[in-house]
Amino acid sequence: MKMENVILVFMKDWREIRRNWQIILPVVTIPIVFSVFLPLVTLLIPYLAGTSMSATQGFESLINNLPSQVQLEMAEMTEQQRTIYMIALYFFAPFFLIIPLMASSVLASDSFAGEKERKTIEALLATPISDSELFLGKTMVSFVPAMAVTTLAFALYSVIVNAISFSVFGGRMLLPNLVWLLLIFGVAPTIALAGIGLTVIISARVKGAREAQQISALLLIPIFILLFGQASGAVVLGPLVVMALIGLFVVIDALVIYLGVRLFHREEILSRLA
Amino acid sequence: MPSTPAIETIGLAKRFNSFTAVNDLTFKVSEGEVFGLLGPNGAGKTTTIRMLACLIPPSNGSASVAGYDIAKDASKVRENVGVLTENPSLYERLTAYENMEFFAQAYGLADQSKRNARIRELLEFFDLWSRRSDRVVTFSKGMKQKLAIARALIHNPHIIFLDEPTAGLDPESAKSIRDLVERLSQQEKHTFLLCTHRLEDAERLCRRMIIINKGRGVAVGTIEELRNRVERGHVIEIALKEVDRKVVETVKRLNHILNVDTNCSSGLMRISVEDHDSVTPEVVRSVVNAGGQVLSVNVLRPSLEEAYLKLVKKEEGRGQLV
Repeated sequence: MKMENVILVFMKDWREIRRNWQIILPVVTIPIVFSVFLPLVTLLIPYLAGTSMSATQGFESLINNLPSQVQLEMAEMTEQQRTIYMIALYFFAPFFLIIPLMASSVLASDSFAGEKERKTIEALLATPISDSELFLGKTMVSFVPAMAVTTLAFALYSVIVNAISFSVFGGRMLLPNLVWLLLIFGVAPTIALAGIGLTVIISARVKGAREAQQISALLLIPIFILLFGQASGAVVLGPLVVMALIGLFVVIDALVIYLGVRLFHREEILSRLA
Repeated sequence: MPSTPAIETIGLAKRFNSFTAVNDLTFKVSEGEVFGLLGPNGAGKTTTIRMLACLIPPSNGSASVAGYDIAKDASKVRENVGVLTENPSLYERLTAYENMEFFAQAYGLADQSKRNARIRELLEFFDLWSRRSDRVVTFSKGMKQKLAIARALIHNPHIIFLDEPTAGLDPESAKSIRDLVERLSQQEKHTFLLCTHRLEDAERLCRRMIIINKGRGVAVGTIEELRNRVERGHVIEIALKEVDRKVVETVKRLNHILNVDTNCSSGLMRISVEDHDSVTPEVVRSVVNAGGQVLSVNVLRPSLEEAYLKLVKKEEGRGQLV
């Protein structure tokens, strides 16, 4: 496998994507909604409401499942601080796993299915670029922008959280912390890669990008389970859980890439299309 | 590059579920030959090209391109062929130059100066150099077609598959494509597999051709051979000042005359013969001796179009002819 061919496919697709607002718009707006608008609305309510707010009642079971060290730390906090702490560090964490998956699903769905729709696939498949180079190039063009927007979203989110925590916690900045760093640079890329790999495999097997996107949306279900699991206190994204998730998704990634390279046969793409 | 045949198919077939797109197709193309793949829409021409370009696998049979087996050495086949696909297959959000550069690199043109020179040469040839920085989406259908042909030639392949190369082109551009194909095949010994239903292109360019219909080979050969398949013999058309009964009877009595038709109002006499070379002088002499005043003499052959239509029609009702 030649890496220059993988990069060639990546660069070609990236040039196209940059000029396609139908793709750029959802890839940029979803992270902004999750990292700026939702947190602003959710965090500003307890911030403006002051100490009278008692939103932590809804998080009781989550708090009870937190590591004892965190519980001890929280015991010394005011009601407002506890609310902001819970929302900023725990409630929003799963959203940052949705961002790379949703952004990459738009890009990955377009990979082969988009080329089929635009009738550009034949000339690409006629080149001597190997199947694995094509697969990895298409995977990379979804992964890099998805991780770029996730990192950017995290940076924006950190600014908002820190701006609020700075005044509420007397100069303390909550982000970044170890769990969030592991989440953004450990779980997010591995989960994105797994999602992208699967979506690219699906994209090569369906007729259009919309069809691929609809099927790949199913990949969000485990993340929503995690979101509701954490909100209900059944799961807490603490360091151990995050490390376990990284380990799990590294294995899934290896499996998906192995399967993707093995299952991806260009000759099947046009056969299915015909 | 391995020696001839440049392309060879043996019993090539492609089925999509219960539909058979190509069935038992056998032909050979020599190096430097322009070989035509003729047939109506849906005949299986594009499917054949897709199989030979290793875009889809055959269901049955085998084929080699540039000496490489399409099933075992697909990568080598792809390196050695240039393909103009049915659709221009261009990235419309990229510029003409970006399209060319991507495909140049994809086909292994690593040296940037050589790559740039090749792209410039082709874009200038197709009058697209001044539009190189424009996105393809702004191009006309003809410009896209020219750019797609330029892309097929980017790595200077010895074997080129052209699927409807002059579709959408104005007469001048179509002629320049035909001239290019002619030059590349004659001077540089490039082999072309030309898939078309424009018989004008086939007649002008192809040394030999195969007519396919409903996925099956109907006939293969030179234009002359295809004409002979539909009509044995020729028609001598003599224009007379006046068609006289005596003249007609005299001609009918000659040897090797198959049939005589006359049209008194136009003064035309059509004489069917087996071999016009030996019979025409004798026929003309007899007409003159019988008192006929000859205005002109023409030997009529079925055109490729007539031959094509008859062969396709004939095949509709019966088996394979090849």
